[in-house]
Amino acid sequence: MVDAVTTSFEPKIIGFLCNWCSYEGADAAGRARKVYPANLRVVRVMCSGRVDPQFILEAFKEGADGVMILGCHPGDCHYKEGNLQTLKRYHVLKRVLSRFGIEEDRLRLDWISAGEGDKFVQVVSEMTERMRQLGPLCR
Amino acid sequence: MAERIGIFVCECGPNIKEAMDLDEVVTFVQGLENVVLAKAFGLLCAVEGQALIAKDIKEHDLTRIVIAACSPKEHEKTFKQCLEKAGLNPFLLQIANIREQCAWVVEDKALATDKAKAIIRAAVRRVAHHEPLEVKEIECQPHALVVGAGIAGISAALTLAQKHRKVYLVEKLPCIGGKVARYEDVFPSLECASCILDPILDEVLHNEHIEILTLTEVQEVLGFYGNFLVKVNQKARFVDTGTCIGCGACLEACPVKVKNEYNEGLDERKAIYIPYAGALPNVAAIDKKHCLRWQQEACSACREACPFGSITYEDTDQVRQLRVGAIVLATGFDLFDPARAPQYGYGKIKDVYTSLEFERLVNSTGPTEGKIVLRNGQVPEKIALVHCVGSRSSKFHEHCSTVCCMYLLKFAHQVNSQLPGASMTGFYSDLCLPGKKAQGFFNKISQEGHMEWMHMKDPDSIEITQVDEKTLIRFTDVTGSPREVTADMVVLAPAMEGAKDAGAMAQIFDISQGGAEGFFAEENSQVAPVSTAMEGIFIAGCAQGPKDIQSSVAQGQAAAGRILSRLVPGEKLALEPVTAEVDADLCCGCKLCVGLCSYKAITCDNLKNNVAINKVLCRGCGVCAAACPSGAIKAHHFTDTEVSEEIKGLVRHG
Repeated sequence: MVDAVTTSFEPKIIGFLCNWCSYEGADAAGRARKVYPANLRVVRVMCSGRVDPQFILEAFKEGADGVMILGCHPGDCHYKEGNLQTLKRYHVLKRVLSRFGIEEDRLRLDWISAGEGDKFVQVVSEMTERMRQLGPLCR
Repeated sequence: MAERIGIFVCECGPNIKEAMDLDEVVTFVQGLENVVLAKAFGLLCAVEGQALIAKDIKEHDLTRIVIAACSPKEHEKTFKQCLEKAGLNPFLLQIANIREQCAWVVEDKALATDKAKAIIRAAVRRVAHHEPLEVKEIECQPHALVVGAGIAGISAALTLAQKHRKVYLVEKLPCIGGKVARYEDVFPSLECASCILDPILDEVLHNEHIEILTLTEVQEVLGFYGNFLVKVNQKARFVDTGTCIGCGACLEACPVKVKNEYNEGLDERKAIYIPYAGALPNVAAIDKKHCLRWQQEACSACREACPFGSITYEDTDQVRQLRVGAIVLATGFDLFDPARAPQYGYGKIKDVYTSLEFERLVNSTGPTEGKIVLRNGQVPEKIALVHCVGSRSSKFHEHCSTVCCMYLLKFAHQVNSQLPGASMTGFYSDLCLPGKKAQGFFNKISQEGHMEWMHMKDPDSIEITQVDEKTLIRFTDVTGSPREVTADMVVLAPAMEGAKDAGAMAQIFDISQGGAEGFFAEENSQVAPVSTAMEGIFIAGCAQGPKDIQSSVAQGQAAAGRILSRLVPGEKLALEPVTAEVDADLCCGCKLCVGLCSYKAITCDNLKNNVAINKVLCRGCGVCAAACPSGAIKAHHFTDTEVSEEIKGLVRHG
């Protein structure tokens, strides 16, 4: 049964990508025609620091099986330190999610620069694979 | 009234068209709420595509537009202009990126079709909530701030002033001229430094467009290119610059003696002082740290001695806010402290000097009035010149300071001129003699007097010790053999580092330093050497990296040129329309957002107990909106509702 679920289930993943680094990184992957799982749906935000925890909860509530926040590398934030705020919130959110019975791995924060198309593909692929393993989020 | 949304799907030639079933996509999105029109077109960014959008906006009375095409990074601006021409606010547009993030990265056509539908659906849901935003303009500030009144800063200031720009020239010391003002001669011309510099300093002092702020440090910088607000603190001088003529009567009267940092600690000065003879402006200053009045003693010797009544004990520090459009940081260098490398004996062996100490020793306004003598007053017979102290080193700095070989040759010339009988030994592992004059300078000086060269294995393979009354220099020569030489006087050429306070400056101006050596990082070392990652903040001279006088001048002038070419008086600056705004009724005054804002754009009204966001300073990151616990902050164009609708559009319904 478990096998049947993991092979037929395709997770929905929401990715919040910052305008300056990660969104550019995703575009770079596209320009290089790097194929990656179609499971990711992107919300562009100006800064990863704009990602209100309620957006993440809402994504899970609306049907996402996994949520990613991708920002500039620490030190490279277009807005100086927005990504560091995200990092702080991320740790708190992980704890909150586990209280709600949402596996910690369903939320992932990573840093993708504008030139890191390959890393973007790798992170999305890993996330998709992990969500396939975890199966659908039970609401 | 319901919005009337138009969707334009770009085929992008075969790029999007062949990656998915576009007919299915168009049919699907046509059925979405509020959509009155959906159509595919060959190439929307082409003139014909743009004309089609404009025509449909008018014909169908469209109020919101979704363009499903390439990345917004490619053509969002193009389509915004298109909306504007058709009479629609450009922010009533949403781009659905179905090329870079769909057509090009999804192999399976059915999956690509589904993904494109979701992306466009999200854009449709989002755009319905878009609000028109206005791009406001302010007039740019053509004034400039130059920090550091050394040769680089002065060159920048004079170049700007030539074009009648108001320049605030901020210098933390009581005098201007920087390090060059403390040199006797300059290489390779061997001209007297003050002969070159004094006319320039005079020009700066009397230029109506340049306001010199000595004893001044920058405390805070707000804003952006064209519109910086800089807070500076001008420390009290306690001497009236208008009436003091620098006669020095007060210096004689002052009972307090302290080490004179302007002579590298080689002699003493008074608590009221003029840094060195000839320092400009030629006005005394009181050093509050050492003056007896600030040690609770009732001394007023200087005031009593002053024939002009210029002593003003009641002076206080003045904080000023300067509005400028651009900033040049020319904060210069400091030397690597050779005491960090015990092998050089610096600080322990009394006649081991740094190059800056030697500059003062040989300077006619210095502690010995230019006489090259040992600390015991005797004339040295054997002088060692040691290259690469802490530079090109495996233990300290990797970089070459570029000027040391040349100034050590200059020192050799100065010794030869003054002490023709003295012998000199140069300890080097490589010589750096680039450019059109350096090799000739070396050839010329090498033939003067008694100069011997010791070729070391590497810069670190040297040790200086005191044996009885002799200073013994042991080193490994280039063949690997141990050698030793004695000397009466040793002059070290320590690595140049960024100024000691460069780290603090980098924080205040929000620019970075390149590495442990402390120099500011340029935007691009090849093609943008005087600009930084922060638009409108330029760097010049040794603050950027080790360099000689002519290169420092060139960088100062280059920075000024960059400012003059772009910061044109009367020019308007478009303000960021995507900013955050506070609903004062909802704000509970917790001030969480105040500390989070990197631009200090949020201020709290303690009486009303709520915060407000300065629209000029806000850059629209939205960090405050995400942090606000009461939802009082609206991040325009990325509102909670807009993002929430986008999420719903992306994940709902399969």
